[in-house]
Amino acid sequence: MGLKEILEHHVVDHVWTWAALGPLRLPFSKHLLMMGIASLILLVVFPLIIRSRSAALAPFRAMIEIIVLFLRDEVVVPNMGHKGAAYLGYFSTLFFFILIMNLIGLVPFGATATGNLAVTAGLALTTFALINFSGIKEQGFFAYFAHMVPKGIPGWLYLPMFVIELLGLFIKTAALCIRLFANMIAGHIVILVFISFIFIFGSFGVAVGLGVAPVSVGLVLFTLLLELLVAFLQAYVFAMLTAIFTGAAMHPH
Amino acid sequence: MEALIRPEFGLTFWTITCFVLLVLVLSKTAWKPLMHAVEERERAIKHDRHSAETARAEAEKLKADLEERMKSFKAELNARAEEARQAARKETDLLLAEARRAAAVIVETATKEIETQKAEAARGLREKVAELSVLAAERILLKQIDHRANTELAARYLGELEKERPEMRLENN
Repeated sequence: MGLKEILEHHVVDHVWTWAALGPLRLPFSKHLLMMGIASLILLVVFPLIIRSRSAALAPFRAMIEIIVLFLRDEVVVPNMGHKGAAYLGYFSTLFFFILIMNLIGLVPFGATATGNLAVTAGLALTTFALINFSGIKEQGFFAYFAHMVPKGIPGWLYLPMFVIELLGLFIKTAALCIRLFANMIAGHIVILVFISFIFIFGSFGVAVGLGVAPVSVGLVLFTLLLELLVAFLQAYVFAMLTAIFTGAAMHPH
Repeated sequence: MEALIRPEFGLTFWTITCFVLLVLVLSKTAWKPLMHAVEERERAIKHDRHSAETARAEAEKLKADLEERMKSFKAELNARAEEARQAARKETDLLLAEARRAAAVIVETATKEIETQKAEAARGLREKVAELSVLAAERILLKQIDHRANTELAARYLGELEKERPEMRLENN
């Protein structure tokens, strides 16, 4: 079994069965299951923690509260103004949804749903929709598109700039999608490579393989911790960038 | 490996559905109560702080008031003490003067009394001395008398006496 098969086994989605909904072929896959688990945690555990008054759950409530307040005070309000506070629910959900899917990827038998281009594309598309929705809601349909181009440029530049800005909107979204996907998958690939080192060196001789093993395991543990950091970091980055783009669409100046 | 970067758009659909539903549901079930609690607490903190500040200002005012009253009390106390001291001094002076006057009176009466008694004693003494000397003279005279010689002597003395003090002459009476 080569590295390719191992990698595909661990990183790529496994579709178990398909369902048809009109023209769409909807897969039931491992990543969908992980997304479902994350959704279940968000739907059941979070309201339970937040609404309970028990002292045992107080630390968890405080953790959620700290993160939500951080999102409000450092991400949403500075980028979107006080009107943006209405979108706090969206950003909190976005952050925790991505975070939990990232973290499930670090649990044994779990898979990283955010390490799937289709999933990150879905998240990026919701961001794309939010950017345009909030921009149009805040400025009006025509004013929104008129303000896409910065003020004070010569008239002949207007059309090319409009096209570039419009393209920029799609590129931003695509960048969001690829950034999250690549970050989540990179750590897994590095871990697999470090583990494969043991067997690559093992093929020179059993003693060499055993000698390399501790180094490899140490590096794997280090990468795992790095992935833990990246799980939080990428959830934050995704929410932060969404807030920046949305804020820019709401207040063009 | 191309499976890694070949997106399954069905999954995109699932993701969007899932996420939008989560946003709608969690906004009601999780974030709303959370933010409600947070805002409640923030308001409570603000209220507590406000009331604490009010209480502090009140306490400070009360303290200033008390200090002022204390100061006025002290001033009054000092004034009263001064007054009492002055009254006491006046009283002392008065008493002293009175005592001095009384003493003077006593001394005067005593002196007078002494004078009177002295005069009386002197008078008594003089009488006694006169009597004693007369008696003594009598004794001496009685012892020494020789009738004849004495008669002569007496005549002579009488003559002398009559010469000396003519107003004592018996004949003239």
